[in-house]
Parts: sequence; structure tokens; C-alpha cells
Amino acid sequence: MVSEEEKKFISLINEHQGLIHKVCIMYENDPDVRNDLFQEIVFQLWKSFSSFRGEAKITTWMYRIALNTAISGFRKQTRILKTEDLKELHLNISDSWGDEREESIQRLHWAIRQLSEIERAMIMMALEEVPYDEIAETIGITQNNVRVRMNRIREKIKKLMRN
Amino acid sequence: MELEELKSIWKNGEPVFQPKDETEIASMLKKRSLTVIDKLKRNVWLDLIFTLVVSVGLLVYVLTLRNGALKWASISILLVFVVYTFYYVKKLILLNRFNPADENIRAHLESLIDTLSGYLKFYKRSYSLLYPIFFCLLLVLFGLERGAEKFVENLTNSGTIFYLIVMAGFYFFLATYVTNWYLKKLYGNHLEKLKGLLNDIRE
Repeated sequence: MVSEEEKKFISLINEHQGLIHKVCIMYENDPDVRNDLFQEIVFQLWKSFSSFRGEAKITTWMYRIALNTAISGFRKQTRILKTEDLKELHLNISDSWGDEREESIQRLHWAIRQLSEIERAMIMMALEEVPYDEIAETIGITQNNVRVRMNRIREKIKKLMRN
Repeated sequence: MELEELKSIWKNGEPVFQPKDETEIASMLKKRSLTVIDKLKRNVWLDLIFTLVVSVGLLVYVLTLRNGALKWASISILLVFVVYTFYYVKKLILLNRFNPADENIRAHLESLIDTLSGYLKFYKRSYSLLYPIFFCLLLVLFGLERGAEKFVENLTNSGTIFYLIVMAGFYFFLATYVTNWYLKKLYGNHLEKLKGLLNDIRE
């Protein structure tokens, strides 16, 4: 028998599962481990669902728990992503984009995965249009710090994509 | 390359994923957690239950014994199990202090490092107390087996005392080394990784 709260939670996860999938893809290369991580994030979200009072945006709350689980809660050794692994990364690339652009997309994904786990979390949220104040709140640093670090991350990505 | 340009590249090549249906999501709520703290808690609960079950069994056995060496040896082991029960309860209290809730990444890391460090410190301190107890217990059991009088007589011999001191030193060194190696292998490396992540945020 599924409770009303469970139904509400499942529909919430169903609606925002893209966010969880993206965090899993960002932190785990192995599909099986990624699946375990997805389950763990859903479980952790469920554990703290009753204490969520709507003070933060639902996506901010989800990012916080998903990233906490992926970065520090979940202990699995992952191998370093090599450039040839990019071919295995399935990306939904628009047909109107040419080969050169397709390569840029692959390079961006590869470059992001070369960053530290905290930098990865920050750039991922920024690319997903999460405002800087929410990024600051999620990471636990000031907005000013987010701005400074985001410039550094951008520079790193630029260099990595050029190599 | 500006952030807007990166966003445009990102938006045009989002990773493909297999969406989970509602039944799959519902089944995930019933699964066991795989986080470090939850795994530790499960292990300590198992140890505690095992200790309690064996203690009750041993107590029943002791009550059937007549006075003698075997009875006293069993009582000594039972006392060690009582100490272990407190030890596991304390471990659970330490682990329950960690409340992941929905803190930000920095606070979560600080809390996790604090809990794991406290847990490991307690683990090491307990064993530095328990190892001498184990050693003395072994000595008593050995003495009881060989006969108390002969054992006490041997203890007055300076050669035996020297041999015991060397044995105690070697036993303590080896046990501490193995415990430290085991803890580092199990949680030490993970703790170092967590500290590295926190330093990255604090930079």
C-alpha cells in the first residue's frame, strides 16, 4: 500500500529525474555504479523528504542531496575517464549541428570530467542555469567566491578543450 | 570562451539517459542505503547482536558449570563481551551523531569528517585499552591450564618476566600495527579524500 506522501515523492522524482541522472553521469563512468548512485540519491532524498519545508527551491534541495551523495556519501572507486571513453557517452546532439560542433560537445563533457569534484558540481549547476546565489547556498561558500571560482573553472575548461 | 557559450554547447548535447518509471522509483525507497555511515551502522548492529547472543549463551553455560578453572575462564570471556557491548553502543552513539539531512556540501563534509574521525579515534583508543586486557586474559587462561601454583612459581623467575615483557611488547606492536593498517585501508583513505574535498571548498 503506497502512502500519499510516497505518491507525492515518486511523482516529484519522476518530474525531476533528469537532474539526478545528470549528477550520476557527471560523477560515475560505469553504468552499473551509476545506477547504484541513482538509487542511493533517491533513497537519501526520500529520507529527508519529510523534513523539506519548502524554504529552498525544490531543485536546490535536490541538487544539495544529490551532490552530497555523489561527492562524499557514496564510496566507489571510479576509473579516470579517457578521451576514447567519450564515444561511449551517449549525448543527445541536435541534428542541425555539424561535426565540428559535435566534437565541441564531446570535448566539453570530457573537460568537465577532468575537473575536481567540487568544480564539477559548480559548473554543472551553472550550465543548468542555477543562479549564483543558489550555487553558493548549495556548496556553502559566498556568492563572491562562486564568481571568482567560476572564472577559474571557465579558464580551465577553455584550456582543456583546446588541448 | 564565455560561460554563455559553454551553456549553449551544453544545451545542445545533453547526456541521454533511460528514464525510470514510477514502479522502479517506488522500489528504490525500500532498498538499503550504501553510504559509508549507514554501512558502518549496519556492521556495528550486527556485531552488537552477535555479542549479545553469544553472551547470553555463555551466561547460560556458565550457570551450569561448577566452580573451577573452566568456570572462571568463561566468566572472564563473558566480562570481555560485556565490555564489547558498551563499546558497540558507544560506536552507535558516535555514528548516530551524523545527521546528513539537507545541509550544504561544506557543512555535510565537515560533519562527515568529524563523525568518521571521532569514530576512528574511538576505535584506536579502545583497542589500545583492549589489547592489554586480551593479553592478560590469555596469560590467565594459559596459567589456569598449566596449574595456578606452577604458573605463579614461574612468574617469579626473572627469565619468565623478561620473556613476558618481550612477548607483551611484540603483541602490542603487532596488534596496533594491524589495527592501524586495517583502519587506514577501510576508512583512512576515504577520510583523506573527504578532507581533500573540504580543502578544495575552503580554497
